[in-house]
Amino acid sequence: MSTATKFKTLKDIPKEEYIAPGNTMCAGCGGILAVRIFHKALGPNVAWVNAAGCMTISVSYPLSPLKSNWLYTAFASAPAGAQGIRDALDVLMAKGKLQKSEDLKVVVVTGDGAAYDIGFQSTAGAIQRDLDFYYLCYDNEAYGNTGFQMSSSTPYASSSKTTPVTAAYPYGNTGRKKDLFEAWRAMKAPYVATLSNSHGVDFLRKVEKGEGIRGPKLYIDFAACPTGWGFDPKYSIEVEKLAVQTGVWPLKESVDGVVRHTYVPRALTPVREYLRTQERYGHLFKPVEKPEAIATIQRSVNDYWAKVAAEESTQATPAPA
Amino acid sequence: MILRVRFHGRGGQGAKTASRILGNAAFNDGYNAQDFPIYGAERRGAPVTAFTRFSESEITERGFIFSPDVVAVMDDSLTADPTASPFAGLRKGGLAIVNTAKPAAEVNGGRTDIAVLTLDLTRRALDTLGKAVLSSGIAAAVARASGITSEAFMRGLVEELKEVGLSDDAISKNVALATAIYDVVSPIKLHTEELPARADLVPLAVVVSGEGTEDVVNTGNSASRHTGNWRITKPVIDYLKCTDCMICYAYCPESAMSAGPDGRIAIDYDNCKGCMICQTECPLRAIGSQMEGLQ
Repeated sequence: MSTATKFKTLKDIPKEEYIAPGNTMCAGCGGILAVRIFHKALGPNVAWVNAAGCMTISVSYPLSPLKSNWLYTAFASAPAGAQGIRDALDVLMAKGKLQKSEDLKVVVVTGDGAAYDIGFQSTAGAIQRDLDFYYLCYDNEAYGNTGFQMSSSTPYASSSKTTPVTAAYPYGNTGRKKDLFEAWRAMKAPYVATLSNSHGVDFLRKVEKGEGIRGPKLYIDFAACPTGWGFDPKYSIEVEKLAVQTGVWPLKESVDGVVRHTYVPRALTPVREYLRTQERYGHLFKPVEKPEAIATIQRSVNDYWAKVAAEESTQATPAPA
Repeated sequence: MILRVRFHGRGGQGAKTASRILGNAAFNDGYNAQDFPIYGAERRGAPVTAFTRFSESEITERGFIFSPDVVAVMDDSLTADPTASPFAGLRKGGLAIVNTAKPAAEVNGGRTDIAVLTLDLTRRALDTLGKAVLSSGIAAAVARASGITSEAFMRGLVEELKEVGLSDDAISKNVALATAIYDVVSPIKLHTEELPARADLVPLAVVVSGEGTEDVVNTGNSASRHTGNWRITKPVIDYLKCTDCMICYAYCPESAMSAGPDGRIAIDYDNCKGCMICQTECPLRAIGSQMEGLQ
């Protein structure tokens, strides 16, 4: 990023904690880590608006890890809830009943189930109305809270509760992951970014950058899910790092529709190295390796980065398919 | 006669699978059987409850078991956890099977009117399976104590583990573990009390004032939940190697790392769940691990 930033190294991460210890997420949860870092970057004055998902359970009566505000809405309507809060704050400030210093940043936080599927329409509505809000999607690529059923974010060849590996479907999920970044960008949101907890400085800078932009600011965080994806929680950050280094999860942003990749792997690590870390892809390696499915995934990653190279003069050397 | 078994575990230990293995085993042995978990906010490490009922005659009871004849406690930290309350409603004369290395008197929940059987299942599971998954072990203990035949149990075990999708290798390790435990437990004849009418009503846990209240201003109070007792392995900082680079701090999903009064990074063991991300990410290998309960 060209402009001045508070965040030069990971050591610059703000030290205030807005998420208290003792939350009820699984050990090693990438979702709650994303919320924690996002909150640190935004500071204390935040109103979260949540739709059904894992994070909903983090606030379970009578205990809450949040030191800020929280509104829980129906699954489909978190951005509508955000509109209500934003309007109320604006009206109160216009009437002089609320000081400008008491204003809150309104942040929708949902999983991929709400962002990609069930709340897609209300998000589209909020973007179209140019609502001044943040959207943080912690994307664990399935309905993790209910036992890992497929969402439209579930990638090709991932197994899930609803796309199990069977004789008829030896690769699990036959669908492809929806490109939510492009969908949001196509709706003319002024700022859209992808995040990975493993790239903390990039994460913090993107939230910082969003603060200077009025209107919908949308973030998709790659949130490793030890329980759903099937790996030891101690590898949460490693799995996210691998997703970035293999090119499976590109780190990028779009400012007024202009896309820039904020991190380009010099040479892509083969996707195989990423896939083999997780039980949800276990069938691609056991009982025998399925090279054709792995090659399909490698090709789609290579194609993506070839397109990036053509569009932005950056070059990532493809890995063999 | 009907036998009501309630399993208390932590998410990931296999309470639900244990209840299913026992249900299969009882069915294979000619009983009518039910098994089911509570579908709530289960989390790896969070208290989880599952149930099995079996009976020679038709079972007309439905729903959660509030007055079990047997409780199987898969983690001894649950005995003092008010959100789990594993001994709640356990009938007089009933049996508690507790996975622990401690003596029975320390894990009986203060109950002197029940029988307590202790087994160090975690150690056995780690030795045999390489991980602390206890479903096969605890199911074997309950099945043997309640007199289910070895043949019916083993068949039920393999059926369930196949359905869960375990590899043949993992199944044979589980069978070895279950056999070892089945062989050290003896059948126990229970004489649990009959209950008066409406004994199924459960008293609600008291909300401790100041820890949890309906007051929405009471923010950030989850620290009183003490998720530290979810932990199986414990990260330990070697301060001779640590340079306070803050990488572990940045990546801790629990907000359980903080700079101590001396400016050094410190771990909040009351709430650290033991995910061990800090150990993996430490560039100086300054964080080691210890098994909980061992020195």
